[in-house]
Amino acid sequence: MTAAAGATSAEVRATLPHRYPILLVDRVLELGEQEIRAVKAVTFNEPWYAGLGPDPDQEDLAYPPFLLIESWTQTAGVLAKRLAGSEADGQVMLFGSMTGIEFHRPVHPGDVVEHHARLERAVNDTMIFEGVSRVAGEPVLTVGRITMAFRPGEQLNPAAGPATG
Amino acid sequence: MISPVQAVPERLRPLAREEGSESWSGSYSVEISESEPVFAGHYPDFPIFPGVCVMECVRRAAEAETPPPAGKLRLDSVESTRFLSAVHPGDRLAIELNWSPRGEGWRCQAKVATQHGQAATMRLRYLPEAVA
Repeated sequence: MTAAAGATSAEVRATLPHRYPILLVDRVLELGEQEIRAVKAVTFNEPWYAGLGPDPDQEDLAYPPFLLIESWTQTAGVLAKRLAGSEADGQVMLFGSMTGIEFHRPVHPGDVVEHHARLERAVNDTMIFEGVSRVAGEPVLTVGRITMAFRPGEQLNPAAGPATG
Repeated sequence: MISPVQAVPERLRPLAREEGSESWSGSYSVEISESEPVFAGHYPDFPIFPGVCVMECVRRAAEAETPPPAGKLRLDSVESTRFLSAVHPGDRLAIELNWSPRGEGWRCQAKVATQHGQAATMRLRYLPEAVA
């Protein structure tokens, strides 16, 4: 990765349109031209843990695996926003497709997840990212490929025809 | 497992073996209420049901009833997902599931639609819990 500064939590929040309870990146460690590393700290205070029964076991406390994907994708989204520059202003960031996403082990409260996303290539207005998420150096998630695009919000109107979600 | 989605998938058609094949299929419905907590932050003043939450609805439907010959399964990977249209508050997801044995595990293929048309397709891979 080229030497690059990260982004504070304030900068992350200013970059991503996501808000509580689904703003799932805490801080960017490194933001380069092609790659990004960011962290997400998992805690009991996330709302998903509110509905637990009185005596949950370790399996019950596993962080929802698809939120891990969301968190990784938001990390890639910070890089996508940087690459798109002002062209993305006022547009909505959307996934088109995902392939080859593997879960290696569960994540629990107290884990600090480090996401690493790399731009594989960009085709027209679509960007393709790949990467990995680790806890204490061990992979918990690998992402084969995720495609992402910016679209004007009005295209998402249900009456307006196909768009991505 | 805890979940970012409050709505519980409602079973429309119990899982049944398809005649002359090793596949099993069933269907579910999920009503996406505007009170789903994720809408507060995805996005403020512009609610779209997150793609990962559509995936979550499929996962919960898949895990509500698995093919009896499969035994206890755990999610290994998302082989693929394609998002075809956005899901909004008030939409109802219709989920069609098809399970088939693949190698030592099972593939669960899903088609998701709303009243507006196709919303997503997905392939999840499950392995027997005993396989590390």
